[in-house]
Amino acid sequence: MKKIATSMIAAGIAASSLMAAEAAITAVKVSGDLNNVSYSDAVWSKAKFSEVSLYPQTTIKMNDAKANELNAANTAVKAQIAAVYNGENIAFMVKWPDASMNIQRGCKTTSYGDGFAVQFAEDASNPEALPYIGMGSADREVVIHLQKAVRPSYEPNGKGDVAMQVNRNQTDLFGADLAKFDKDVAALGNFDYERSFVSQGFRSMTEIKDGSNKSSARLGYNTNNDGWEGTLTRPMKDDYVDLNQGAIPVAFAVWDGAKMGRDGLKNLSQWVSVKLEGNEGGDALIAALDASAVNGDVAAGKQAVADNGCVGCHQVEATDAANLMAPSLTNVGGYATAGYLKESLVAPSAVVVPGYNRNAHSNYMWYMEENGKRTSTMTDYSFLDAATIDNIVAYLKTLKAEAK
Amino acid sequence: MSKRQLAMVMDLNKCIGCQTCTVACKTQWTNRNGREYMYWNNVETYPGAGYPKNWMELGGGFDAAGDLQPGVIPNLEADYGVPWDYNYDELQNGASFEPNVEPTWGPNWDEDQGAGAFPQDNYFFYLPRICNHCTNPGCLSACPRDAIFKREQDGVVLVDLDRCQGYRYCIAGCPYKKIYFNPKISKSEKCILCFPRVEQGLPPACAQQCVGRIRFVGFLDDEEGQVSKLVNKYKVALGLRPEYGTQPNVYYVPPTESPAKFDAEGKIIEGSTRLPVEELEKLFGPDVHQAIATLKAEMKKRKETGESELMDILIAYQHSDMFRLDNNYYQEVAKAAGQTPLAPVDNRYVAGKHTSTKHVMNFTHGGHAAGGHH
Ligand code: SF4
Ligand code: SF4
Repeated sequence: MKKIATSMIAAGIAASSLMAAEAAITAVKVSGDLNNVSYSDAVWSKAKFSEVSLYPQTTIKMNDAKANELNAANTAVKAQIAAVYNGENIAFMVKWPDASMNIQRGCKTTSYGDGFAVQFAEDASNPEALPYIGMGSADREVVIHLQKAVRPSYEPNGKGDVAMQVNRNQTDLFGADLAKFDKDVAALGNFDYERSFVSQGFRSMTEIKDGSNKSSARLGYNTNNDGWEGTLTRPMKDDYVDLNQGAIPVAFAVWDGAKMGRDGLKNLSQWVSVKLEGNEGGDALIAALDASAVNGDVAAGKQAVADNGCVGCHQVEATDAANLMAPSLTNVGGYATAGYLKESLVAPSAVVVPGYNRNAHSNYMWYMEENGKRTSTMTDYSFLDAATIDNIVAYLKTLKAEAK
Repeated sequence: MSKRQLAMVMDLNKCIGCQTCTVACKTQWTNRNGREYMYWNNVETYPGAGYPKNWMELGGGFDAAGDLQPGVIPNLEADYGVPWDYNYDELQNGASFEPNVEPTWGPNWDEDQGAGAFPQDNYFFYLPRICNHCTNPGCLSACPRDAIFKREQDGVVLVDLDRCQGYRYCIAGCPYKKIYFNPKISKSEKCILCFPRVEQGLPPACAQQCVGRIRFVGFLDDEEGQVSKLVNKYKVALGLRPEYGTQPNVYYVPPTESPAKFDAEGKIIEGSTRLPVEELEKLFGPDVHQAIATLKAEMKKRKETGESELMDILIAYQHSDMFRLDNNYYQEVAKAAGQTPLAPVDNRYVAGKHTSTKHVMNFTHGGHAAGGHH
């Protein structure tokens, strides 16, 4: 534990010497109402769009053979993202290219919808120890807002409406009673596939269903430039997060239905910093998330990775053999922050995501579990000197599939 | 692994392919709300492509090392077949008889085709299939949401519809393709082994209705039960495609008797048998040889001495012996869990096993509950 503390203080000092670091996104303060923002609102003309790269999720491989084939050669997606806030609400707009508009249809077993998600950290007070990018981790909770392009779906569950699950032909109703039955059934349909979740890592994501989430998302396909435009608006502060800060970490993901995208088959960003214009503070966070500020010798880092036998458990470069033992690192430079990479090396058990599925690969014990506490089976590399750690982090930050 | 395991044995020597089981299941569970195309119980002709089409080649299950294998999600039009209807109403106006969608595939598309040349050596048999409520389910292992669970009290594998987000990895992961995507609600659904019936002492509808009386239902650890005797004592009931590694809990008594082949003149070839044992080995693994030997030996013993417990079981005299559900057991389980036993409408799982109206996060397995959201 002492070692992590030291490395964090060191990072803190480095951060303060880099006061000039720029936030990836600047949230512009506006005065109008942001309760119900859509992509066509005039408010976006006041916003500043920034380019954010979203990298293919390759940490774990899903078990869908066809989808894996379709996604094998994925590259980064460059999204244009902007934010506005008014003290009460904050709104984001995500524009990303997608050659085809895919909407999940209620009459097919193999149709998938495009979509996007925005993730917030419950606690971002330590920029070097943010929640794990892949849906958080134990005691580092995230809130995820998801909007997918799905035709109205009918979900008869959890609302005590078991009686509505009967085929209309099998009711003893007719005439006006049957018409009322049809109407009641139709009213149970979900006309918008917008969901919010709290999560502490893979497998733990739980939908917020008690109404405590006040967000609202919109999604529209722009045929003029072949891409989606999605907006999310949510309160600055709710039961889950308090975004009234100088700067906040936010992460984005997009799905491509044409490539059977869902869940783990997506492109995601790293935690990016959003500066709330006019709010004091947040410099440490902005510096910690500034990828250009990573100091280290890439070539020496690559050598250190080879010397330390990382490929024994990880697929490091895309050309290395896949390995079920540990997460694949082929795009880790794209979606992991330098702070996370460093923490993983010197304190491998600080973040151990549950799953992805121990039953599926029972011979690969990549963590031990005792009383609910997970201990990584990875070697603790805190014995390496600080320069070597920096070099390895610098090298790992180069591992990513760039946009074509 | 669950504490106890409820299992089914199907005696393939007696299945007549009448589809009564299929209809019993369909009318009860799958005739509505996006389940129209699903057959939680289907009876296919073997050899044949089956349902969904070529399911044995669609991957899933585990390799010898225990790693989940990638699989393919069947397509509604090509692999399951869109349920179609005919324009009966329009016929009186002179319309020609047409289906409302062009049928390309459906359950029993290749019914009774089988293999071999008629009349010399053609053969087939019926293979009824439900979810195997596997001990090591491929569907459960594939789910990245922990939405599939195996009940402690009887090993029934269920989908928690509240957690399911319709990702469909379970369908790729099940080597039997016995879990289905409901496109209307965007969630996965599967055979529930009629658990609301079972808890009231009734066998699953497919077993109760079975005309051929081929289905036995009981707990594997109930040594007095016929299921346990067929599976554990006589070892004549075997899992389907055991090499898939999911440890299925539906067991089959392999078909042992088949007619002799004919020669070119149409005369019986003495001592020949149409059903190649290699096919049975492919379906049930190498243990099938011992199972067939035991069945033949017991049949002989019965003919010679009039005595054979195994033959008496397979004759299936009494439903009360074929179905041992130990009703009181479920009453006790419900009581211990503080639930209402035998609720008329069972909403315990409809509401979701893991989620109450408040979003709780007690999903980690080591007792670490991270609730705290109000
Ligand atoms: S047969 Fe398929 S759906 Fe049923 S438990 Fe086994 S793996 Fe799951
Ligand atoms: S009801 Fe029985 S005999 Fe008829 S098809 Fe089903 S399993 Fe076979």
